[in-house]
Amino acid sequence: MTPGIELLRFITRKLAASLPLIFGVTLISFTLTVHLGPDPAYAMLGKNPTAADLAAMQRELGQDQPFWQRYASYLRRLATLDLGHTESSGEKVRDLLARTLPVSFLLLAPGFVLGTVLALLLAMFAAWHRSGRLDRLITGMSVIGMSLSFVIIIIALQAIFGVWLGWFPVRGWEVHGPASYLNHVTIPTLAFVLASIGYNTRFFRAMLVNAMTADHVRTARAYGASPIHIMCRHVLRGCLLPIITRIVYSVPALAISGSLLMESHFSIPGIGRVTYQAILSGDQPVLMAVVGLSAVVFAVAVTVADLLCRLADPRIRLA
Amino acid sequence: MTRGHAKQMPHRPWRMLRIDHIAMIVVIAYLAGALGVWLGLWAINWAEITGAMWAAPSAEHWLGTNRLGQDIFSRAVAATATAFEIGVLVAVASILIGGLAGAVAGHFSGSPLDELILWLKGTIDAIPFYLLVIAIAFALKGHTMAMHLAMIVAFWTTTARVVRAETIRIGQAGFIEAAHAGGSTPTRIIFRHLLPNLVHVLLIQATLVFVAAIKAEVVLSFLGIGVQDSISWGLMLAEAGQDIMAGQYMNFLAASLFLFGLVLAVSLLADRLQDRLDPRTRHLRSVGIE
Repeated sequence: MTPGIELLRFITRKLAASLPLIFGVTLISFTLTVHLGPDPAYAMLGKNPTAADLAAMQRELGQDQPFWQRYASYLRRLATLDLGHTESSGEKVRDLLARTLPVSFLLLAPGFVLGTVLALLLAMFAAWHRSGRLDRLITGMSVIGMSLSFVIIIIALQAIFGVWLGWFPVRGWEVHGPASYLNHVTIPTLAFVLASIGYNTRFFRAMLVNAMTADHVRTARAYGASPIHIMCRHVLRGCLLPIITRIVYSVPALAISGSLLMESHFSIPGIGRVTYQAILSGDQPVLMAVVGLSAVVFAVAVTVADLLCRLADPRIRLA
Repeated sequence: MTRGHAKQMPHRPWRMLRIDHIAMIVVIAYLAGALGVWLGLWAINWAEITGAMWAAPSAEHWLGTNRLGQDIFSRAVAATATAFEIGVLVAVASILIGGLAGAVAGHFSGSPLDELILWLKGTIDAIPFYLLVIAIAFALKGHTMAMHLAMIVAFWTTTARVVRAETIRIGQAGFIEAAHAGGSTPTRIIFRHLLPNLVHVLLIQATLVFVAAIKAEVVLSFLGIGVQDSISWGLMLAEAGQDIMAGQYMNFLAASLFLFGLVLAVSLLADRLQDRLDPRTRHLRSVGIE
């Protein structure tokens, strides 16, 4: 068999292995947001419907079909992005997502990248000076950072930069170009970095310290290679896998809490504020789309990240 | 003392011991505060209007009053009890479910039962936490315990993973096989031989879940889908977000310092607990949910 075919088979098998996961996440989101959610027939009929009206409307909407049939139609709707209309404004949910997702991405991406890179640099520094004064300072600060709630950070930054100093706007999202973008994104970025850097530094440091015990790292140190060379060439490579996995897993945890908290608090028209308003008003089509799609996207992302890690690892056996 | 010598001195454990003790005293102080609330000794009038709007700190109102004229200190103390209720309930339920699921999966590792538990765990881990909470709150139509249930559903998986790995490791030690050969039933093996050897793991997990639950409560209450009909630090911070725009900071300072103190103290204790009881599984620890 040629290596190309073998690789293809490996990828196909890996992707197929994620099907139970996709089945699980869609089943749970269907059960929670559609099956147990409010009956749309009531909403469509208005006040005081008769039992016959209700039954007719339920039949029309397919509410009387068995569970698995409704689950199948839910899957079809997710797959074709036929997500219906919002209850609040009647806008197509697909259009709503297309309008708000880019805002959330622009809001969170700088903080996510900066938080990860800074944490990695701090962790390398701490791991190199292990048990020294600087290491203790960095690990101590990261425990303090971990104990600060995202909510505390957001309000504190709002108080300091928005109310006291008045340097940056803390409400709304009037972005027309690079300058106004920087103006609006600074506080969210700072908040995101502060919220994530403690957890990240601590985790990265633990991984790096572990990787530094490897024999070839000790040899490289003995030969007098520069710290940067050793860290990047030998140590980081030794623990790249858990670090990448960790970064992928921190995307939904941090991005969703960040998007929900900052967009609702600062009135930024992103996906988090839409979700927040949908929770308060009980807007079922929006919640169904957000929960279902993000669960599927994340399940796929985890599988792909795992696949990439394995493919990047020269020790991998494709069998 | 030379510098080289000083480096070899075990001054780090000594430092940590002191931090341990301070953390322990802080946690006990919080617990005493919560006990007083449960026994009705203090902070009973947290919901009543006892002063003017935004009164400054005084002998009567130690941390001043909020927008409505309610005493901020009483509210922060009453919220301590709420935090313990949520933290303890979620931690105990999560480690019971996670411990049992993990022990069963580990004992029958490789079997369809193990596969089923792993699939459930993987599925729940793949649904972003806050969306799972939102979906559960939505399905339960805003039931007051929806948040607690959602946290338990989300948090048992970490314990299950750690306990499963540990169970497989213990299983290789031989005495499980001996018990099996001696005719013990799987139930007896799990409850008599496995779980007693996992107490330290469960204890560490309980402290980690406790912290995670308190932090998640603050985010959810701040968003308006958490604590209802009671007072919590998250609800106080939601008020504080409005207050600071009017230049009032006492609500924010009180809620965030109370929250920060408890989370930091319990996190430090969890760390020390892990160092003492189980240094080997440090790398397995939950990295937390923000």
